[in-house]
Amino acid sequence: MSFSRDEVKQITDKVLNLAKADGVEVRFSGGERAATRFANSSITANLIERDQEVTVTVRYGQREASATTHQFDDASLKRIIAQVQELAKRKPENPELMPLVKPPQQYIEVEAALPEAVNFGPAERARMVKESTDICEKKGVLGAGYIPKLHWTNAIANSEGLFAYFRYAEASFILTCRTPDQTGSGWAGTTGVKQVSQIDAVGLTEVAADKALKSRKPRALEPGNYTVILEPRPAARYLSLMLNSLNARAAEEGRSFMSGKERGSTRLGEKVFGDNFTLRSEIGNPILRQTPIGEDGLAAKPVTWVEKGVVKNLFYDRYWASRQKKEPTATSPQMSLVMEGGTTSIEEMIKTTKRGLLVTFFWYIRPVDQQTLLNTGMTRDGLFLIENGEIVGPVQNFRWNESPAVSFNNITALGPAVPMHVGESYDNPGTALVPAMKIDDFTMTSISPAV
Amino acid sequence: MTMKRRDFVKTLGATGLALYASDLVGDLLAQSAGKRALESQFKGLSDIALGEAKRLGCSYADIRFTRNINDNVTVRDRIVTDSGFGFGGGGREESAGFGVRVIHSGVWGFASSPIVTPDEIRRVTAQATEVAKASAISKRFEVQLAPVPAYTDYWAVPVKIKPEDVSLDEKIAFLLKINEAALKQPDIIRVQSNIAFDYEWKYLATSEGSYIEQEIWRTAPGFQVTARKGGKTKSRTYSVPPRTAGYEVALEAKMLENVERICAEAAEHCIAPPIGVGLKDIIMTPSHAMLTIHEIVAHATELDRIIGYEANYAGTSFVKLSDLGKLKYGSKLFNVTADRTIPGGMCTVGYDDDGVKSQEWPIVREGILVGLQTNRETAHFIGEKESRGCTFATSWRNYPFLRMPNVHVDAGPPGSPTPEEIIADTKDGVLIDGRGSYSIDQQRYNGQFGGDAFWEIKNGKKTRMVSDVTYNAITTDFWQNLDAVSGKESWEMYGTTGDAKGQPVQINHPSHGSPWCRIRRIMVGAAYS
Repeated sequence: MSFSRDEVKQITDKVLNLAKADGVEVRFSGGERAATRFANSSITANLIERDQEVTVTVRYGQREASATTHQFDDASLKRIIAQVQELAKRKPENPELMPLVKPPQQYIEVEAALPEAVNFGPAERARMVKESTDICEKKGVLGAGYIPKLHWTNAIANSEGLFAYFRYAEASFILTCRTPDQTGSGWAGTTGVKQVSQIDAVGLTEVAADKALKSRKPRALEPGNYTVILEPRPAARYLSLMLNSLNARAAEEGRSFMSGKERGSTRLGEKVFGDNFTLRSEIGNPILRQTPIGEDGLAAKPVTWVEKGVVKNLFYDRYWASRQKKEPTATSPQMSLVMEGGTTSIEEMIKTTKRGLLVTFFWYIRPVDQQTLLNTGMTRDGLFLIENGEIVGPVQNFRWNESPAVSFNNITALGPAVPMHVGESYDNPGTALVPAMKIDDFTMTSISPAV
Repeated sequence: MTMKRRDFVKTLGATGLALYASDLVGDLLAQSAGKRALESQFKGLSDIALGEAKRLGCSYADIRFTRNINDNVTVRDRIVTDSGFGFGGGGREESAGFGVRVIHSGVWGFASSPIVTPDEIRRVTAQATEVAKASAISKRFEVQLAPVPAYTDYWAVPVKIKPEDVSLDEKIAFLLKINEAALKQPDIIRVQSNIAFDYEWKYLATSEGSYIEQEIWRTAPGFQVTARKGGKTKSRTYSVPPRTAGYEVALEAKMLENVERICAEAAEHCIAPPIGVGLKDIIMTPSHAMLTIHEIVAHATELDRIIGYEANYAGTSFVKLSDLGKLKYGSKLFNVTADRTIPGGMCTVGYDDDGVKSQEWPIVREGILVGLQTNRETAHFIGEKESRGCTFATSWRNYPFLRMPNVHVDAGPPGSPTPEEIIADTKDGVLIDGRGSYSIDQQRYNGQFGGDAFWEIKNGKKTRMVSDVTYNAITTDFWQNLDAVSGKESWEMYGTTGDAKGQPVQINHPSHGSPWCRIRRIMVGAAYS
């Protein structure tokens, strides 16, 4: 299911022509979400969801209302427009409503729907499962995995003449291998890949299966502070915990880690993290190939959030920027996120570690205290003890309580940044470029013996 | 009740108008007889899919049409917003469409579409079949479904006041009053009040002869305030038990009456001393126990997790198949019941999405695990001949799979202590109310939970608020330490609007009833040490 620029523009033009109001905005979203799931080395679900929707927003002065339909025939569109026009007139004024974004907007060109991802179908996914589960069988483990594919189009148009269109296709391969006696578990995966040929199902299965086998009979270690080597997946999850703190409004209202000591002040310009922590939104990054369309259709531009530990920019949404007499940021911190990596491989990190832990995966991370960024979570699917530069064996999982505000001052080595989803699930765009990280003094608070 | 054309027009005249969407399913519903599943327009459309699936050689097929309307009205700092809390993540979403599920070559295939036309139904049925056929090359076992009788039925949640019959003006005015009242209180810097509505209409037809139409309304109101005092910021939420019911849930919730108390507690929390680290007795109110029950009882007893189906994401379970009838899950006071029939329960339905009639059954009796959550696909793994009816899909676009029902901790028998008596009988403890931080391992054995507000209990008295409270629960140890439960008079059924599971992730809305519970000697405060 594909929506071309012309097809989408016909739909948004039709809505814009039908709707009578001070201002009209139309958001289009549609495409194909497909997925293959397997467990116990056999496919358990295989699906293709087709969807399409337009969300129509009309405004009269500072009054605004929106509604969504999944049907694009004239009668359906006319009816929803009538509804939303009626609704908007009855809504109270919203003092935070900003004017519609005006064209022209100079979007960075991003080619994100490559044929091999667009055409990645159920038969190809099933073959990938078979390749993977055949290896699982040879190695004596059970494979449980997920191969999602998203071929999606987003567009935004408004009565000021704006039209922004972005289509992309991406896939992921995520695998957990478990030993049949349930005493070992290993994970491997790659996410948000625009070129499906870059998915190495065989290689990833070898890694997950070997981790499962090597994680059997883990020993219990005392909770305490450890040097940890976070592989890219736990590193990406951990990185995600500080992104919301870059919101300027929450910081200036005193509700965030980035709030300054004085009411209304922030930590912009302060050195908050270590020298080796640099974070950017690289709109147009050739690996990520993510949307260049920012808030309300503004053209997103590259932004450096943190450079060598110093906070360089906070995210000002359009309303807060106007109130504070600043330029809106347009680019949110979740867009095309790149954490600057280093050159140290995980093997080298292990070699230079006297005593520490190699972490494959973080699970169920939840905030404990928003203002200090204190979070809790657990390790999962492969935790190994390192002593004197070598992995000496598996360890029972830990629960941790730690803050990236502390840890990102304690990074001692970084690997190359690789694509990895920062979210808990893998369904929507959210892949960033994230390096493996070696971090000192990471607080493990209790043993979590689950496998 | 099924919507008629005149109702639609009437609704348009009121300001609840945008609740009813503008798509083909709406038109078909307006033309349908309603309450007579075999006379519905959807009977004929269903038969197209079922016939096509049969022609293509599928051994099983079903088609499920749904119309889902999530409408969440939020007023934050006197501003009406589309963001924030609600079913499905906030704002308003209306959608309708259908999903076709088939078994071919012993493997599931599923496809869905929002375009409800005979041609699209044929295309999607063929696509689901192709998907199943393609999957067969990597099958190692075949799907086995427990038998189910064929039903023809209409079932609906009883509703006193349909949310769409209440104007948007009235809803906003109701929420604005809470905003105004809260912003007058000292130290309050932010307030958000919400009412979330979820309407679900669905029509299921199966190749085994069932035609089932259902209508479900869910309503979840609440508000949250944020206070700043002594240089610290704390939020406090007024929890309202969400229910399958209509706007009456909001009217009966006493939200306005509780604004002053909630604001005062938020401000006091800012300056409350940390509890410190150590072993304490914890007393859980039902609004807090809800989430602990959800995480370490309800999820742990989902049979699909136990057999490994969720190993790649939600996880497995510390419970093993061999534990059934043997595992000592808690103390003698610990009784757990699964129930999809209880009035008001968020997972209460007439039939699940496999077409299995809903029921109530025991999970734990006097501390021993005696039952699990099953569906047609998984019942045979524990030798049961019938499904317990736990299949659910969030909407038409999602494939149905095993989701938890309402799972409750039962109230104590007559003569059980009152909440006041439990407090009076506690020397060194902490009272925990509402939801806070929660995190649990992938086998549901090691949990760390916080709450929304905490009070120190010293020598039988509730003394002052404390802060920085979390507790650590090793599931079976935790419930073994359950030594007091209150009676049915204080049993309440709270719930959640956002239980995530599956890939792609789907959202479920279970209720978890509980009495007041006391757990002896649990480690608290370790997260902050």
